[in-house]
Amino acid sequence: MIGFVAFSLKRAWQGFWRNAVMSIAATATMVLMLLLLAGFWIVQTGLLAGLQFTEEKVEVVAYLHTNASPLQVDLLTQRIEALPEVESVTFVSRDEALDNFRDSLQAQGREDLTRYLDSNPLYASLEVKLTDPSFNRAVTAALEDEVLVRNVLRVEDLVDRLLTVTGILRTAGTGILIVVGLIVLFIIVNTIRLAVFARAEEIEIMRLVGASDAFIRWPFVFEGAFVGLLGSVLTLAILAAASDPLSTFMTGFFNVLPLQFGTLTRDLVLLVTAAGVGLGVVGSWLSVRTYLIR
Amino acid sequence: MTAAPPPVRSIRQRLISRPEPRRDQDRAVLVMHDVTMEYPNGNVALRDVDLVIPEGDFVFLVGPSGAGKSTLMRLIIRDEVATRGQVVLDGADLARLSRRNVPKIRRKIGTIFQDFKLLPRKNVWENVAFALEVTGTPRRKIRPAVDRVLALVGLTAQARQVPSQLSGGEQQRTAIARALVHDPRIIIADEPTGNLDPLISWEILQLLLRINELGVTVLMATHNAEVVTALRRRVVALEEGRIIRDEVGGAYHRED
Repeated sequence: MIGFVAFSLKRAWQGFWRNAVMSIAATATMVLMLLLLAGFWIVQTGLLAGLQFTEEKVEVVAYLHTNASPLQVDLLTQRIEALPEVESVTFVSRDEALDNFRDSLQAQGREDLTRYLDSNPLYASLEVKLTDPSFNRAVTAALEDEVLVRNVLRVEDLVDRLLTVTGILRTAGTGILIVVGLIVLFIIVNTIRLAVFARAEEIEIMRLVGASDAFIRWPFVFEGAFVGLLGSVLTLAILAAASDPLSTFMTGFFNVLPLQFGTLTRDLVLLVTAAGVGLGVVGSWLSVRTYLIR
Repeated sequence: MTAAPPPVRSIRQRLISRPEPRRDQDRAVLVMHDVTMEYPNGNVALRDVDLVIPEGDFVFLVGPSGAGKSTLMRLIIRDEVATRGQVVLDGADLARLSRRNVPKIRRKIGTIFQDFKLLPRKNVWENVAFALEVTGTPRRKIRPAVDRVLALVGLTAQARQVPSQLSGGEQQRTAIARALVHDPRIIIADEPTGNLDPLISWEILQLLLRINELGVTVLMATHNAEVVTALRRRVVALEEGRIIRDEVGGAYHRED
């Protein structure tokens, strides 16, 4: 068994270098395809983060009657927070609301009109964050039943439209990623098929002298895995070299997005390595099969 | 040369000292019974072929191109399975053989072709050793076995040369060494002298005869009328998929 593995590994290594041109062509194809796959995956991850960020912006705002006592507000906050659809509740008092209003006017560079007011005309409010934006109807209804609540800002239409758009984008993104993955699979399998075809005579000799299927197949499978591993290492090297200028641009552009580059890198390394080695193994397995089955 | 044990003796002794006693009908290395081979495209390559080759025989298979010689050989190495009839090699019915056992039966057959089928990047020694490596032979058994067959075919001095440095005759001798290294029950040679000039062809034939004298059965397909007629061995003639002649001591052409 150890002898068999050693034999297969040795033959795989020899096979790679003895057909250097084909092997390099296969590796180059592998690198290009993995770059394509990784590129689409990065875009998809960015898109998903963007969509999630947008969806988190959805909140239900309930304005409270001015006569609500702090104790009543506390109790109401606790009741609302206990709802399973609710992520968190933030109380904004009337003074805070006025401050926010002033800040936003200032930010827009407009004159502060609040100093002409006798008293604060704004209502205190509860800003309710949802675990999922699609729960907005239920939470709105629950809030409207409360006596303390004056009115609830209705956002159903807006939320529905947003959810439709994000749903389409998610499906489209996943669909494109799958299509790209399939294209990559076909191209790599075909490239490896060519590399195996170049050694058809060697396989024929092996069959004639009575080599078992395992002895014919595994060296090629190991060779495919080696091509895949080499391809993914090169791909990751290229991505690493490109990541500095790219991430500066990305963070500048997607400033607001909670993209975590740590987990992105880890997932990317896993994806590229698994795809490279997996495609190499599957490609070789399928290619050699053609010659084994009679 | 001196290091190798006398090869003549070792092969003969192995053949004599087979452990199980063999009954007479088992002595045939190859039995073909009523074999018909029809390809999926409707082309019938062999019709009702009956052929028995006893152990130690030397058989010439002759006939025009397309007569079915190659198909017959492909049936023996189980590259194809007969549409009808039985092909029994060394007691095993090839049609009933499971996929997993096909390689094992192929190790009992040594194959030689017109185009040698050597690996261009491996030298003579490695080409012969390859047949043992890919069948999982332990390393320590490979070296003596390869040295022995190279001595037998007279290529000890050329062991480190690659095929492109060899003459056609030497390349074919390398292929013969590779065919022998598994200690086969039968050697199947498809036009082994087809690419060689007459003198070298005789040399290859002498080698095959010598191997036959050591007890290995030989089945050789050929167009070389001069050789067949001169040697007066058993001749099996195929025409349009049928055996039209099977005579011991025959010539290439019918002599009536």
